[in-house]
Amino acid sequence: MASAGLPVAGIRLVTVRRRASVPWLMWICFGIALLLVVLALFGTTLAPYNPSAQNLSDVLARPGGAHWLGTDSLGRDVLSRIMAGARSACLGPVVIAGGSMLLGNLLGLLAGYRGGRIDAIIMRWVDLMWSIPGLLVIIVVAGAVGADYWLAVGLLLILTIPFDTRTVRGAVLEQAPRPYVEAARTLGVADWRIMIFHIWPNVLPVAVANAFLNFAGSVGFLAGLSFLGFGAPVSSPDWGVQLSQGLQSLFQNPIGMLAPGAMIVLTATSVNLIGDWVYEQLSSRGAGR
Amino acid sequence: MSTTQVNEPVVTAAVCPVLEVDGLSVERLRRGGADTIVTSVSLSVRAGETIGIVGESGSGKSMTARAITGLLPPGLVARGAVRYGGRNLLTQRESQWQAIRGGEIGLVMQDPFTMLNPVLRCGRILEESLPDRRRLGRAQRRAEIARRLAEVGITDEGVAERYPFQLSGGMRQRVAIAAALARGPRVLIADEPSTALDVATQREILALIKDIQEARGMGLILITHDLRVAFAMCDRIYVLYAGSLVEAAPAAELQAEPLHPYSHGLLLSEPPADHRVRELAVIPGTVPSPGQVAGSCTFAPRCRWAAGTCRESAPPLVEVTLPEVASGRLSACVRLAEIRADMRAVREQAELEAHTAPAGRAESGLISVRDVRKVFRQGGRTVAAVDGVSLEVGAGESVGLVGESGSGKTTLARLLVGLERATSGDITIDGTSASDWAALSPSERRRLRGIIQIVFQDPYSSLNPVRTIGATLAEAITTHNPRARGVPAQVGDLLASVGLPAAYAQRKPFALSGGERQRVAIARALAARPRVLVCDEPVSALDVSVQAQILNLLAALRADRGIGYLFITHDLSIVRQITDYLYVMRRGRLVESGATEQVLNGPRDPYTIQLIESVPSPEAGWLTTPER
Repeated sequence: MASAGLPVAGIRLVTVRRRASVPWLMWICFGIALLLVVLALFGTTLAPYNPSAQNLSDVLARPGGAHWLGTDSLGRDVLSRIMAGARSACLGPVVIAGGSMLLGNLLGLLAGYRGGRIDAIIMRWVDLMWSIPGLLVIIVVAGAVGADYWLAVGLLLILTIPFDTRTVRGAVLEQAPRPYVEAARTLGVADWRIMIFHIWPNVLPVAVANAFLNFAGSVGFLAGLSFLGFGAPVSSPDWGVQLSQGLQSLFQNPIGMLAPGAMIVLTATSVNLIGDWVYEQLSSRGAGR
Repeated sequence: MSTTQVNEPVVTAAVCPVLEVDGLSVERLRRGGADTIVTSVSLSVRAGETIGIVGESGSGKSMTARAITGLLPPGLVARGAVRYGGRNLLTQRESQWQAIRGGEIGLVMQDPFTMLNPVLRCGRILEESLPDRRRLGRAQRRAEIARRLAEVGITDEGVAERYPFQLSGGMRQRVAIAAALARGPRVLIADEPSTALDVATQREILALIKDIQEARGMGLILITHDLRVAFAMCDRIYVLYAGSLVEAAPAAELQAEPLHPYSHGLLLSEPPADHRVRELAVIPGTVPSPGQVAGSCTFAPRCRWAAGTCRESAPPLVEVTLPEVASGRLSACVRLAEIRADMRAVREQAELEAHTAPAGRAESGLISVRDVRKVFRQGGRTVAAVDGVSLEVGAGESVGLVGESGSGKTTLARLLVGLERATSGDITIDGTSASDWAALSPSERRRLRGIIQIVFQDPYSSLNPVRTIGATLAEAITTHNPRARGVPAQVGDLLASVGLPAAYAQRKPFALSGGERQRVAIARALAARPRVLVCDEPVSALDVSVQAQILNLLAALRADRGIGYLFITHDLSIVRQITDYLYVMRRGRLVESGATEQVLNGPRDPYTIQLIESVPSPEAGWLTTPER
């Protein structure tokens, strides 16, 4: 608590502490995340060239003044395609992380708080989903129906939900026997209110950290699917697609492959680190208890 | 174990202190300064002597013990001197400490379970702490361990083969003591050694420590929050408050006449075990952090006698030179001469006994429990936590339920408020059968919740940490009455009824002290306007001075609103202060019941007698228990 007698010292202490609590690495991660948001929203308009425009007279150009990162084997500007590709790199993972947080938390709260038969049904479903080899299912379905970005996102979402459910259920089981929950029960607070307004805010750190983890994981996973040809269509600007096309011309313009690869790694890593940091911030909020 | 001072005469060993702490300060370093935790503590312990360091939570007593043993957590530094065997221990290197800890100074901590390594068998734990264990043969080692266990009263040789979690709390503490004593330390520091134990076990452990100390002639430093334990065990007592010593005196003299307003207040907040007082004396407020009271008397903000002189500078601990005061008493009160008579008058006033007319019981209680059983299935075994209990709580009646941990008293409370379902038997609340709350209609359930509410033991987890106090109370109000109007005003009223300012509605639980949180928990239960409040150990997690505040609050609520209590506790002195009728529970069964005064003054069941004898008392003989 702030020292009542020495307000000046108190203020100084707070500023020092705040600066110390956000390390420089986090500022880099925030910078990358901000850049990704801007690119995902306005990447296509901000790009110096039309990302799909082919220029067959200038294929596989080395990085230079006209094309900062060179061109690919069809003469498309690598930088423009990366900027435009941020949308498919981020949108799918946002849907997966957000959707899985919403549904997974709901199922986890139900299973952990209600227990009994509801818990048994949800958790056996979770077990079933865990026993399915996810990548194989996506490849088979995409092979049967044809490659589609949103199909891959949807399947990945369904495969991620059980993971969230199990984690949140564990956290709920830890909170449910606490006296503050029992006090609400003895007052007659409705079960859904207890779940949403009492327990959920207390398992939020775990849920949010999980969402960031899911985001980072699905960035890599979706890019991998696109690389294999089961995700985004081959003509679209997508980092995974770019990676696979750039691989074929690795020795003519290595930047054409390395740049999307680096973007995937940077995105996944910085989001992961932000997730860790957010978890620490959120869980220290209740540390005074 | 080499004695460096060979030329020292042997005679002085009994007079000279073995361990002397001089001007010890503990500070937490941070950027641009340091926070004080303990300041200028000086004490000494002689061979064969027991000293007590008494203080409430946050007084710095545990940090003092840790500084003496060189076990301060990272970021904390100790200044001053801890003299032992001609050395200043504070300047020792870690490698030197290893020979001192265990070998010269032993340490017993509060929780025997965390102190013993859970993956090692008890015999192995003891073996680790034996001196020169490599030179002993296998058979010799076994014999040595058996001898060590026998010293702490464990004759069952099987204990050495068991893991700590297979032992009871008292057994674990015995093993921990044996481990602390294994290398023959000359000073033993016991940090709340009996706090985590049941009252009967507490007495055995304290008696054991005292016996061994006398047999070995060790110096003993007992750290405790419980004045009664300190009076029973110690020769001299140091009273620590907000990081500094406020009084030091021989135990008997401190008990007869405390010479500092804090010790005076602490002594009065302790509910007397042998009679009921009209109202418990309280110390207003809570223990401040040492930084908040630096540069003045640490107790000044809570002291009724505080004057300008108290706030000018930090008063030193000096020898008291007043008439009728034995020599060797130290006090840090600068106004002692002026207020001594006043303090004595307050004590005499507080000692007046309350005369309670033993009221007859109502014919049929508001709550009636008949032959209730609750069986838990645990790994294939069935355990009857509550085994055929029948009791009554009348309207406006204060009923006590005492028993040790594991007696089933908490399970009974949970059955009453519908957190558990009885296996068999009947619970009737105001004419409605409440054996199975789930089978009741929603309107009946709501009606019952307006009759019975509960206050839990642990104020730190009974409030939702992410919600404000106001949100918690507002929800309690609207849950009880969905059409409630003027909810913010009602929240303010509730807070006022438990003695908290309305501004507390904006705060979150972490900004409140333990006592304040328990007040909020009581306010939350009051929101449903109950006629009976089940209080499950509501004060056992609180400091003595705060405990008295809460007990007085409960008494006032009963007087104002006619609320009845089912007061569940292990502490018989509290039961005497606050209840009219008493049930004694053991292993799921009621062993005795009757009017509180009657049961406590003339117990019939051997278990009740044992419980009453376990209450710490300074009388000679309390520590020489017949059980051993």
